Amino acid sequence: MPSDAATAPHAAVGRATVRVDGPLKVSGAARYTSDFHFPGMLYAVPVGATIASGTIAAIDTRAAEAMPGVRKVYTRHNIGKFYRVPTSSKALINERRPPLDDDAVHYYGQYIALVVADTFEHATAAARKVKASYSAVTNPNVSTSLAPAMGDASGKLPANEPRQPDSERGDPDAAFASASVQVDHTYNTPFETHSSIELHASVATFDGVRFTLYETTQAVMNSRQLIAQMLGVPTEDVRIVTEFLGTGFGGKGSVWPHSLLAAAAARDLRQPVKLVLTREETFECVGHRPHTQQRIRLGATSDGKLVSLRHDFIYSRARLTEYRENCGESSSFMYSTPNLRITSAFAGRDTGVATTMRGPGAVPGMYALESAMDELAVALKMDPVELRLKNEPAIDESKNIPFSSRHLKECLTTGAEKFGWSRRKPEIGSMRDGDVILGWGVAACTWMAARIPAQASVMFNADGSVRVASATQDIGTGTYTVLAQMVSQLTGVTVDRVKVVIGDTTLPPGPFSGGSMATASLVPAVAQAAREAIGRLLAAAAEGDSHFDKASVAQLDFHQGRVHRKGQQPNEGRSFEDVLAAARLGHVEGHGKSAGTRDEEHPAYSTHSFGAHFVEVAWQPEIARLRVNRAVTVIDAGRIINPLMGRNQIEGAVTMGIGMALFEETNYDARNGMPVNSNLADYIMATHADTPPMDVIFLDYPDTHLNEMGARGIGEIGLAGIAAAITNAVYHATGVRVRDLPVHIEDLLIAA
Amino acid sequence: MASNELTRRDMLTVAAVGTGALVGGSFSSEVASAAEPAKTGSGMMDISLRVNGAEHRLSLDPRTTLLDTLREHLHLTGTKKGCDHGQCGACTVHIDGRRVNSCLTLAAMAEGAEITTIEGLGDPDHLHPMQRAFLEHDGYQCGYCTSGQIMSATAMLKEQWGESDAEIKEAMSGNICRCGAYKNILAAIRQARKA
Repeated sequence: MPSDAATAPHAAVGRATVRVDGPLKVSGAARYTSDFHFPGMLYAVPVGATIASGTIAAIDTRAAEAMPGVRKVYTRHNIGKFYRVPTSSKALINERRPPLDDDAVHYYGQYIALVVADTFEHATAAARKVKASYSAVTNPNVSTSLAPAMGDASGKLPANEPRQPDSERGDPDAAFASASVQVDHTYNTPFETHSSIELHASVATFDGVRFTLYETTQAVMNSRQLIAQMLGVPTEDVRIVTEFLGTGFGGKGSVWPHSLLAAAAARDLRQPVKLVLTREETFECVGHRPHTQQRIRLGATSDGKLVSLRHDFIYSRARLTEYRENCGESSSFMYSTPNLRITSAFAGRDTGVATTMRGPGAVPGMYALESAMDELAVALKMDPVELRLKNEPAIDESKNIPFSSRHLKECLTTGAEKFGWSRRKPEIGSMRDGDVILGWGVAACTWMAARIPAQASVMFNADGSVRVASATQDIGTGTYTVLAQMVSQLTGVTVDRVKVVIGDTTLPPGPFSGGSMATASLVPAVAQAAREAIGRLLAAAAEGDSHFDKASVAQLDFHQGRVHRKGQQPNEGRSFEDVLAAARLGHVEGHGKSAGTRDEEHPAYSTHSFGAHFVEVAWQPEIARLRVNRAVTVIDAGRIINPLMGRNQIEGAVTMGIGMALFEETNYDARNGMPVNSNLADYIMATHADTPPMDVIFLDYPDTHLNEMGARGIGEIGLAGIAAAITNAVYHATGVRVRDLPVHIEDLLIAA
Repeated sequence: MASNELTRRDMLTVAAVGTGALVGGSFSSEVASAAEPAKTGSGMMDISLRVNGAEHRLSLDPRTTLLDTLREHLHLTGTKKGCDHGQCGACTVHIDGRRVNSCLTLAAMAEGAEITTIEGLGDPDHLHPMQRAFLEHDGYQCGYCTSGQIMSATAMLKEQWGESDAEIKEAMSGNICRCGAYKNILAAIRQARKA
């Protein structure tokens, strides 16, 4: 087995490879959830509450029921039974309340009824005829002021529950008080909505015993477990299928109530039911990144050595969830400092529930920390790159263990070189391109790396293909292609002969796609499966193929898809399909199962990815016009399995970061708790015209502590830090320090 | 509605089509059922649509958008719904060669016109140069906005835009890619323009 294959000249892993599913995606043939159609399929349209807090007094469905084509209108009285998820369950679910559970309304848009009709038009028209009246309506609290004053002299937040610090070392209060240079500022990040272009959808079928549910999910196994639990049926009676996902960015990780509604309607009507959310509903009912308010206090010596770091944050939390936005996740190990404290608290709000959004915790957290580091550099009159280099830790000081592989300094120096950072003049507004003022900003980034449990099977088929199967899913990150490359690497069979089968819970349980962990998690399971399959192939050759003249397994080897005697070249042996034919076998199969690393109590290494962003903004004060001109990003994320897809993913994160810095915020109406900009014209994301030239560089340090291929995962890290790099550049251009995202052009008018 | 009852045979079909299986690049599982007869009911109107060169006679609710007609009645699901408000561009098709948001177009408005969808541009084994360019440049990630991007790009090249990257980017800004593959989309369009 080619254990050294990763460094072989024709290795599949590490090679820029066109996506194996690409021809389907560019021709419209890839099937996403709402593309499934079945005979007799009905259309379901939910009805949402128009208050954020109160009680349903009555729902009048008579007019809706009389509308053409309507098959049934459901309320909590006739939807059928849903069950709760036990609190002991570790499954991913942010809204544990089953839909239509009682008459209580907890947020605007919460489902109160469901209309099922023969066409989408009939269902939509009838849904508008459902009339609800409410009682005990209270004014919702959707305020973005999370606490009147964050932190008292002791550094503790005025928390709604007493809690221990998330991380603490030394005496941060005394060290801050005596530090020669101090920075103390509070940063706000807004409610953000994932806004995947694919709308959340469910197509539910029920045969009287078993459900087959076509879901928009980043976690088919998680969906199966939770939906079975909530429908009250054995897990085996639920099958989840997600062939293609129009991405999720965390917003399709949890199970959401609409999936239960579709399944319940199919259960009752015994016909397939399709339910596709509207764009508005995706702002109300399927999660968002919560609002955060973060106070950072940094104390340093006059030559720029950190002596104290305090990070106190509050995040908004909806009434129905315990979701926690862990903004301090990275702050404890990012820089070297003997004294540190991180505390957190939440403020209850009357919104739909929050959930993970790309880089949960670290993305808002790194905006705050990297903004504060820039403010410290300004206070010290020190170059911000130099400040970061100066505070590079030797080990993870929060856990007192070494990093598995940390090359942040090289990210910073490589990026600075590529960007031309040495030409930067530190004075505000001092750099110009004609009449345009240029601002240059830098920020570091990090994101965790870990494995979660995974299983996979690898099968050599008599038709000359190799099949790899796992109940994971490709959310757009390239899992189909990455799996084909892994198997090609392990077997020497070319990528075009590898058949990847994923997105179905009937397969060996695979990892969810989240936390940038899917790829790293799949490596050991696929490697074990491939090796077991190769072992069975060699056994079949030894026993059943006269070509090898009763050679023992120990005398055989396998390279380039061919069984051969050790010491001979692969072309002197036999192709695996010939071996299978001689042995009269349809296939041989191997299984792999690997444990996770995420919940290790005493890890030997601190495992994270790192990176650095360098950004140039252009500021035209005469017309108050701000643009991002160019960006250079250097990422240290272990081995990149596919640089073509990898670069694309980081560029996409930088693009999303431009939106985070300059455009994106969900606004709630204080009168009724409604997200008011719940459409893609008013929730503004970066468009093609907003996207500057970008240069993404990967450092190539395989992290073999995590898995044998050294891959860590790259889904989220590109979004960490980028907003700070942009606002730091905005400060350099304009002198305006924006501490509340996004940057509004009004913020800059004082500099215009 | 006896004809709408799900039969056991239908369920077997359901069971057969569910797995995301890929060989190289071609899908191994069979396609879901062919178009069923259009539903009838009160207030329906008969219309005739010409899509990808084929004539379709349909009985439709007059409120049906061209997008929902393509997807739910003709089962041409390559055209995607992303917002239903003309804000994202995922539903872009060609009507008489011009790019149009099919979600903002009632099917009845497209009668007599030549409608082209992504399926009419090329299939996995016979890709249009623009489709090939998106493939080679990785001009997508999740692929959901891709049909709209490609339909928009092919039509855009026939419009009165200049040669610069800035003009391509401006002309393509009605098609949102949340994955942010814009740099590669730009590279793909530049390549296809030369083809």
